Amino acid sequence: MADVQRWTTRDRVILHLVAAAVTALVLAPLAAPGYVLLYDMVFVPRQPLRWELVAPAYSLPRAVPLDTVVSLVTQLLPGWLVQRLALAGVIFLAAVGAGRVVPAGRPSTRLVAAIGYAWTPYLAERLLIGQWGLLVAYAALPWIVRAALSVRSGRAGALPRLLLAAAPAAITPTGGLLAVAAVVALVPARARPRSAAMAVCAVAALNGPWLAATLVSAAGGASDPAGVAAFAARGENWSGPLGALAATGGVWSAEATPASRSSPVIPLVTLGLLLLAGLGFSRLRGRLPAGGGDRLALLAAGGFGLSALGVLPGGDSGLRWMVEQVPGAGLLRDGQKFLAPYALVLVICVALGVERLATGKASAMAGGLTVGAMLLPIAVMPDLALGGAGRLRPVSYPSDWHRVAEQVAEDPGEVLSLPLSAYRAYPWNPGRVVLDPLPRYLATDVLTDDTLYVGDLSVAGENPRMREVRRLLAQGRPVAVTGVRWVVIQHHTPGELDSSWLTGLQAVHQGPSLTLYRNPVAPPDPNLPSSWWGRWVMVAALAVDAVVVLIAAAGTLRRRPTAW
Amino acid sequence: MRRMLTLLVSGLIAAVLGILALAGMSSAVTTTDADAKKAIEQVLKSGKQDPTKPQVYGTR
Repeated sequence: MADVQRWTTRDRVILHLVAAAVTALVLAPLAAPGYVLLYDMVFVPRQPLRWELVAPAYSLPRAVPLDTVVSLVTQLLPGWLVQRLALAGVIFLAAVGAGRVVPAGRPSTRLVAAIGYAWTPYLAERLLIGQWGLLVAYAALPWIVRAALSVRSGRAGALPRLLLAAAPAAITPTGGLLAVAAVVALVPARARPRSAAMAVCAVAALNGPWLAATLVSAAGGASDPAGVAAFAARGENWSGPLGALAATGGVWSAEATPASRSSPVIPLVTLGLLLLAGLGFSRLRGRLPAGGGDRLALLAAGGFGLSALGVLPGGDSGLRWMVEQVPGAGLLRDGQKFLAPYALVLVICVALGVERLATGKASAMAGGLTVGAMLLPIAVMPDLALGGAGRLRPVSYPSDWHRVAEQVAEDPGEVLSLPLSAYRAYPWNPGRVVLDPLPRYLATDVLTDDTLYVGDLSVAGENPRMREVRRLLAQGRPVAVTGVRWVVIQHHTPGELDSSWLTGLQAVHQGPSLTLYRNPVAPPDPNLPSSWWGRWVMVAALAVDAVVVLIAAAGTLRRRPTAW
Repeated sequence: MRRMLTLLVSGLIAAVLGILALAGMSSAVTTTDADAKKAIEQVLKSGKQDPTKPQVYGTR
């Protein structure tokens, strides 16, 4: 690592300023008040801390322990502020992390990596589909890689840093798996088997909450195999899905893909980036400790392979079988999520490739090349700027929502959200679709339809309670017989709703956005779907997480500052 | 002479990319509201969004 530049305070300040500028450029619309509600991104004023969010009893734990963390934090801070801190933190830390992880020979190489990693199609698409929890893992990844390589090299205080970087990644199952994969690929070394084992076990333990939630959920572990075709990587231009993945894009949703990705020039730019990355890879290998570059390449290749599985011949049928038969394999059906390590390695190699090209050139030429490399991501995907060209725009919940939440809180009981639809397009959130916010807004369990519609394809959910309610409604029975205590009708949103379903219910609030009905024949006790042993398992898993993080934090505070 | 040429070429590359980035961003931003409204109106007029069908998560 002899030719790795030792960076100065000035370099650090510039890196942080550039990261802040990129963050501001992407999130500028969030200066307006309100909540950005877009696809899977749901924030509410104060998310209640209740068991159904800690460990969903009837559905797969896709947001475990993310919802627990948000519920806890919003007890102290308002939801609008938490949303802004989370999104700004993701972009800022992704940029700074990429700038720090690259073994750069020049300060400008760090800036190329920082801007490149904060402006990838992966980040843009996952942001526009609202999966900010996954982006927390994306932002943590460079920090995990840096700490993992330090643990492998036996640097003092590296393990606590690794755990602190991996903990935020593990707030979603996919992020947790990415963290484990990075540690397994990068840490093990013959000289230090004990520290490697400790690192792998501790990062695996961070995945405890979602594993425990899967164990105690009545949803089972299997998913609808129709999801494999629905959520497979998607081609964005003439280069097809593999070309899109090579550029770190390829999310399944056309609506979450920036329009610029369909330009016919994109595959040519991707080819150029791959060539640059090839140039940079030899520098990466030469500058990381022995084997570090190869292991990073292996990690990236693994991520790319998983992402491409759904579109490879034979891969889709194998994936369908796994999703149906292997508990938890449903995680793999939206495989593009696993592209994050590839994105990081691509960005690092491109930055080093630019540096190699610029080496030995006249300073003006070198400067031009570097500035060009910094601007290239923005030039080819300008529509990530300003909230994905206006797609991230805050709105306010109508006052109805607050009134309904108050009335339901006075007499808690299960709520059914109608019309039957998992996602909503509200007139007050124009041009945007969002996951029904009611389960996070109300302080009681809310049943929502969990069938996903992707174009004409429907992907069945896993919730057996919802399946039973649907069966009763399909038989022409009223909602009153389902045992729910409350029914909320969300007006002006599409979905299945038959007026006969409401027979026997009493309207207690009628507003322009919501109508609330009480079921007079609902059983007195609300459902208690989670068993007590299940709750203790969850508490134990969360406690282990907290202990690991606290020990890591204490270890980091105690360590002496190091140069790297 | 050679230095002048490299300066010119690299400056041009940086300038073109900078202009592309700024132009792309400004056009994307200035057309969004109108485009979004138009798209919603088109959907409403064409009746594509069946109010009795659940909201589509996305299309491929």
